[in-house]
Order: sequence, then structure tokens, then C-alpha cells
Amino acid sequence: MQNVSVVSMSVPAPRWKSLLLRHEAVLFLVLVVEWSYFNAVGPRFGTVDNTFDLLRHSVEIGLLALVMTPIILSGGIDLSVGSLLGLCAIVFGKLWRDAGLPPLAAGVCTIGIGALAGGLNASLITLLRLPPLIVTLGTFSLFRGLAEAITRGADTFTNFPKAFLFLGQERWLGLPAQAPVFLLVAVGVWLLVHRTTFGRSLRAIGFSPEGARYAGIPVERRVATVYILAGVVAALAAIIYTARMGQARADAGTGYELFAITAVVLGGTSIFGGVGSVHGTLLGIAAIAVLNNGLVHARQPREVAGMLTGALLLLALSSSVVPRLWAAWRGRRRGAAPPTPPVSSSPIP
Amino acid sequence: MALENQTAEGPKDDGTRGVTSRAPVPLVPSARGPFVHRGVLKRYFREISVAAALLLVLVALAVFAPGFYQPQPLLSLATREAPTLVVACGVALVIICRQIDISVGSQFAVCAVCAGLLASLQWPLALVLAASVAIGATLGAINGALIAWLGLPSIVVTLATMVTWREGLRWLRQGQFVNLPDGVQWFGLSQRGGQWLLVVSALVVLVLLGLAMRHLAAGRYVYAVGTDAEAARLAGIRPRRVTFLTFALLGGLVGLAAMMNVAQSPQVDPKSGTGMELKVIAAVVVGGVSITGGRGNLWGVFAGLLLLACVAPALTHLRIEAFWERAIQGAIILLAVVADGVRSRREHR
Repeated sequence: MQNVSVVSMSVPAPRWKSLLLRHEAVLFLVLVVEWSYFNAVGPRFGTVDNTFDLLRHSVEIGLLALVMTPIILSGGIDLSVGSLLGLCAIVFGKLWRDAGLPPLAAGVCTIGIGALAGGLNASLITLLRLPPLIVTLGTFSLFRGLAEAITRGADTFTNFPKAFLFLGQERWLGLPAQAPVFLLVAVGVWLLVHRTTFGRSLRAIGFSPEGARYAGIPVERRVATVYILAGVVAALAAIIYTARMGQARADAGTGYELFAITAVVLGGTSIFGGVGSVHGTLLGIAAIAVLNNGLVHARQPREVAGMLTGALLLLALSSSVVPRLWAAWRGRRRGAAPPTPPVSSSPIP
Repeated sequence: MALENQTAEGPKDDGTRGVTSRAPVPLVPSARGPFVHRGVLKRYFREISVAAALLLVLVALAVFAPGFYQPQPLLSLATREAPTLVVACGVALVIICRQIDISVGSQFAVCAVCAGLLASLQWPLALVLAASVAIGATLGAINGALIAWLGLPSIVVTLATMVTWREGLRWLRQGQFVNLPDGVQWFGLSQRGGQWLLVVSALVVLVLLGLAMRHLAAGRYVYAVGTDAEAARLAGIRPRRVTFLTFALLGGLVGLAAMMNVAQSPQVDPKSGTGMELKVIAAVVVGGVSITGGRGNLWGVFAGLLLLACVAPALTHLRIEAFWERAIQGAIILLAVVADGVRSRREHR
């Protein structure tokens, strides 16, 4: 609503210009440049095999980024998804090996555990009205610590049955077997965010939780739902991760929360909430995945990829702020009425 | 000094909520005789309850594991925690200012490795210390600039710098230890002397900062900005400058702490400081600093840090496996945050 009215009231720009200036378009160009660069540098980069490999490796982070989008859209954040992935991988391994459940039943139970863990985040955030940042920082430590405690720091689960490993390592209809799962979740989240009142209410909550409450939106229930959804999808990602690696370890998914948040912010979702899109997130995931995979083909060490991801996140964040500050600064220099400076907004989403 | 004191105690919020008394209240209840002032009890309820919990743990240790109280292991424990205390003081300031910094562990590693390299070039120790503090302050200033002048959320900025510094260090050093020349460990003193020097200097930092936060105008500015940045601006404080300087100060303290860590061993571990951010935030939050800013003091942080520091030895003495440490840390953070949440809900009702 608000976006539409702002656009229609502003000076009518040429259509191609407004299209080109959209965040997604810029990101798409970056992606194309990245792709062609690595294609020129790494001889094996552009092959179909490598593309599928790239897809296979980015599914887990992609899933986490997809569910992170509605959370950030509603003005929250979830730092615990990476740790929850580790905990769920361990729980899955434990249920399969020690409780003797078949992989399917173990998977269903694991998703239940994920929902419970997401529910813990959700209840602390909504019932006690605690800041999501500190709650998920606490569970970030708690989930990883539980995974370490269950495995006593050293135990790993391996020798999963072939039928289960199919999900992570084989092809189905010519595509990597986990790709349809990712596609399904992506379409689901896209519909949820862009085509339902639920998604619209998340934006309203992100803009102003109090306003949304006065507009009759059940803020607590909506916020709780997105955190529980994040728990469920993190558990799903854990199962796919286990199937791809062929083993479950306590340190599974370390640092994935950073990649997920980077993908979302890179995709144009405002970290302050209220603005963003799922297709932007998908482009963000692709940009990060291509960067990570391409650097390997360009024979750069793995650390560079992590470093560049951090730098990329900072760049993406500042790129949304710098033009505004620049305009405000120039406005002041020209002696125009000084615009009210944006006072440092609350850092705690 | 007296003038500053007056302006500081004037109309601004003095760091506690719901108390309007303007007269400075002594920190130590017993200073007013045997009858504890009710206001004091209410005002410092959070700090007092942490101190009581600490006392409880110490008594439990005395009863069940008297082996804990031996002078040499206790001194070693205090020495290990001394750098953490210095960092915790800085992080407490940042959290009081309503921001957060999770990149301290990476800053710590960068400063420690730089200090080690400079020391192995035979620089005099005082110069190495100054360089370490300067490097830390620069890293802190980068965070501060991005957060204060660009208005970016501190959690995301420091998440990005955390990964960037850590991966950059790993890339440049490839995990190599830095061997230190003779005369660096314990600053060339005997081991006991060095340990006492480290503990005493950490305590000096704590006391100086604790007094400054209460009695200097600059300290009150941090509370004012953390309570309400817009109100602080209208009162003539520059919130951005205060935020920036707080981050720079934290960086400097991290540099100091890194040097204190370097002096404890004959080598510098490039992985030092991993997970430090969580430990420090846990201590600060447990010590009664409100994560939403503007409330808390360094004496509470000290008690919180001691409480957490006693957990690990208590676990070993009570024969609980060390793998649980991280999970227990997470649980303690959540418990402290929940306690704060319940309390503030009761007060607001």
C-alpha cells in the first residue's frame, strides 16, 4: 500500500530507469558479472555438473535464508538457525542409530524437535516481549551446546542407508534430489509472503508493531508463526545436510546464520523490517553461492570467501544508506531547510 | 569535577528506571549503617540478587568441593579471567549505550597476533602495548563509524566484521602460532608477580571505568543515549559521537585485554578469543545490564562475570562433564533475560 502510493506520487521517471534502479535488477547484473568472471577464470566453472554441484551445496543455506526473510521482514532476527541445524542433525542421527527408527520416522521426529525449538524462541519473544536478538543469541549458544553435550564433543553418526543418502547425493529426474524440496519451500514462502494477508501483515508489523496492533493484526501470533516456521525449515535443512555429507556432527552448520542473513540483506530486505522480497533473497543466495563456488575454481583459499561475504554484507547495508545521507548532506550545503537527521534508530530489531 | 558532577546528576536519567530521587545513593548499603535503605534494595535488586547467587555458588563449592579454595589455582583462574573482565567492561558500556558488539572475539585475536608479531620484532613492551591498544581502537572505530554515522544496526555490522577479521586473520596467518621472545611472558616478572600484575590491572580498569560511568559527565552521556537517543540529542548531547566513542573505547580495551592475554603464554594462538563475545555478553546480561540500554552498572557485571567464571570449575568439581559448559552458558543468558523480562512486565502493569 505505502510503497505504491509513494511511487505514484514521486516524479514520474522513465520506465526503464525505474526498472534498472530496482535493487533486484542491480543484484541480477552483479550475479551475471560474477558468473562471467568465474567462467572466464575457472575452466570447469560453467559446466552443467558444476552448476548442479553449486545448487547442491547451497540448498541448506538457501532454506535458512528463505525462512529468515519473513522474520527480518517482520522486524526480527534469528541468530539461532545455524546452531539449530547442528542440534537437529545430531537428534536425527541419535534417533536413527540409537533409537533404531527408520530414516523417515526419524526425520518426522526431527522436524517436530525443530518446531519445538522454534517455539521456544517464539514464546520467549512474544509472551515475554523480549528482544529477538538476545533471545536467539541465547538459544544460539544453547542449541549448539546441547548438540555438543549429546555427542560429548566427539561422537559422529555415519553409515546411513543408501536410500536416505539418495536425498543428498543422487539425481532425480536429472536434477539434484534435494532441488525439488528447495523449490517447494521457495514457492511456499514466496506465496506466503507475497500473496497472502499473512505476508502483508508481516510488513505492517515490520513497519510499526504498535500500528499493526491497533489495526487489529494479531501481532504475537503472526510473529510466533514465523519463528516456528524457521525452526521447522532448519530441521529440514539439517536432514538434507546430513544426507549430503553422509554424516551428522555437532558442528554442522556453524556460521550458516551469517550466510543466511547476508543473503536476505543482499536481496534488498531492510534489516529494520517492513521492506523486502523473497525473489530478492533468492538472487542474494545465488550471488553468495556463485561467489563461494567460483573462488574455489579460481584457486583462492576458502577463507577469502568468508571474508568477502562479510565485506559484501557491509557493502550491501551501506549502499542503502549512503545515497540518502549524501542527499541530506548536499541539501544542507545548499542551504535548503535541513531535513531532520535520522537519529540512530534502535539497533535491536 | 564538581561542576561536571552537578550537570550530570541534573535532569537526565541516572541509569535506573522508576526512581526519581536525585540525591546520589551510596553503592554499598552498609555505608548507611545496619539498616539497609529500602530504596537502595529496590534500586539495586538485580545486582544484589546476582551477588547473592554468586555467594550461594561459593558456599556450595565450599561445602561440596573444598578443593576449589586453593590459593594457586584460584590465582590462575583470576588471571585467566582478567582479560575477559576488561573486555566485559567495554561491552557493558556498548550495551548500556543500546548497541551490541559481537566482533570482540575477532578483534581480540587480531590484536593478540599483531602484538605477538611486534614483540617478536624486539619492540619494547610498552610500545607493543600501545600499538595493540591503537589497533584495537581502530577496529572499534570502524564498527563505530558504520554504526553511528551510517546508522546501520550494530548486530549486523559486528556480525560482518566478526567474520571478516577472523577469516582475514586465518587467511594471512594460516593458523600459525606466533612464538614470543623471552621476557614477554609475565612481562619478564616471575609467574606469581605477573599474575598479580594482570589481576590488579584488570581490577584498576574496572574501578576506574565504574567510577567514571557514575561520576563523570561522559559516563552519564552513555546512559542518556542508551535510554533515549532523541531525548539526549534534545538535551544537547551528540548521540552519534557518544556511540562512536563508546565503540572506539571498547576496541581500545580489547587491545589492552589482548596484550594481557599475550603476556600469559610463550605463544600466541591465532584462534584465541573464539567464542569470547558470547561469554562476555552472558556476563554483562547476567550482571544486570539491560539489553535495551540505559540500565546497569559495572559492579553488577563484575559479579556476573565471577558467577560465570565459577561455573566451569564448579562443573569439574561436581563431576559434571565439561561438554555441558556451552549449553549451561546459553541457559544462563536466557534465564537472566527472562528474569529481566518478567520484572519489567510486572513493573509496567
